[in-house]
Amino acid sequence: MTNDKDIIAAIRKDPEQGFRLLLRQYREPLYWHIRRLVVSHDDAEDATQEAFIRMFRNFDQYGEGNSFKAWLYRIATNEALRLLGRRQGCETLPLDEVTEGMMETACDAYFSDGDALVARLQRAILHLPAKQQLAFNLRYYDELSYAEIAAVSGSSEASAKTNYHLAKEKIIQYMNSNE
Amino acid sequence: MPYSVPDGFFDQLENRVMSEIQQETKPKKGRIVKMTFGALTAAAAAVALFFVVHKSLPENVTTDESFSLVELAYNDLSSEDQEYLLQVYEEDLFINEENNNEEE
Repeated sequence: MTNDKDIIAAIRKDPEQGFRLLLRQYREPLYWHIRRLVVSHDDAEDATQEAFIRMFRNFDQYGEGNSFKAWLYRIATNEALRLLGRRQGCETLPLDEVTEGMMETACDAYFSDGDALVARLQRAILHLPAKQQLAFNLRYYDELSYAEIAAVSGSSEASAKTNYHLAKEKIIQYMNSNE
Repeated sequence: MPYSVPDGFFDQLENRVMSEIQQETKPKKGRIVKMTFGALTAAAAAVALFFVVHKSLPENVTTDESFSLVELAYNDLSSEDQEYLLQVYEEDLFINEENNNEEE
């Protein structure tokens, strides 16, 4: 496992080789992050590819001292929102304007509700408002700190914490009510 | 996760992204022309230097000294310029004709 500092140094030394390290490290977590937001595999594939290319083009805009992980997740999240926005006929979609229906479980070839509990958890997450969903996913699946979640969602740390806890409560309620 | 991906998906994704990136980092055509022009200018300057050094030598300079001065000037050139100079020398009809006449 390569740490972020090594990846940054490698990209500065040799952009192509360094970027391959970044891809190896982040291709799966960022794909799954986007997939959880856009649901369909094809959309997630397009958005992930585009997100990585944007990361490469804008690498010099990464601010030294900030969380690299948060920077990557922010680009990936924006790309997912852009894709959801295009579905609605606009360039991008502010997080506040993402509604539940836009992120409903898509029944594509790569969705399976074989594991009923996991599928139910995913449905519970998809019923959350976008900000809570994002905070929950980033904390629960990607283990980002509240500061990093705040950087990704463009909110305060306190707000990220609140969104996560509200999300958790609602998920517990949803899971219990569907037993 | 209730989601899955096709087999080999992540490797394919990585290859596609890398191929896109490599396309972007390829030097642009205009840049090649600019570099070639720069290299050609340097080579032309090297050829000119060769003849200037050769012609401007005082008459009392012996052939050995003349060659060592040219050699010094040649050694100051970059390896690319040296290679180009040799290529020009080998392909230059007039110089070769002069050499052939001298040999005869």
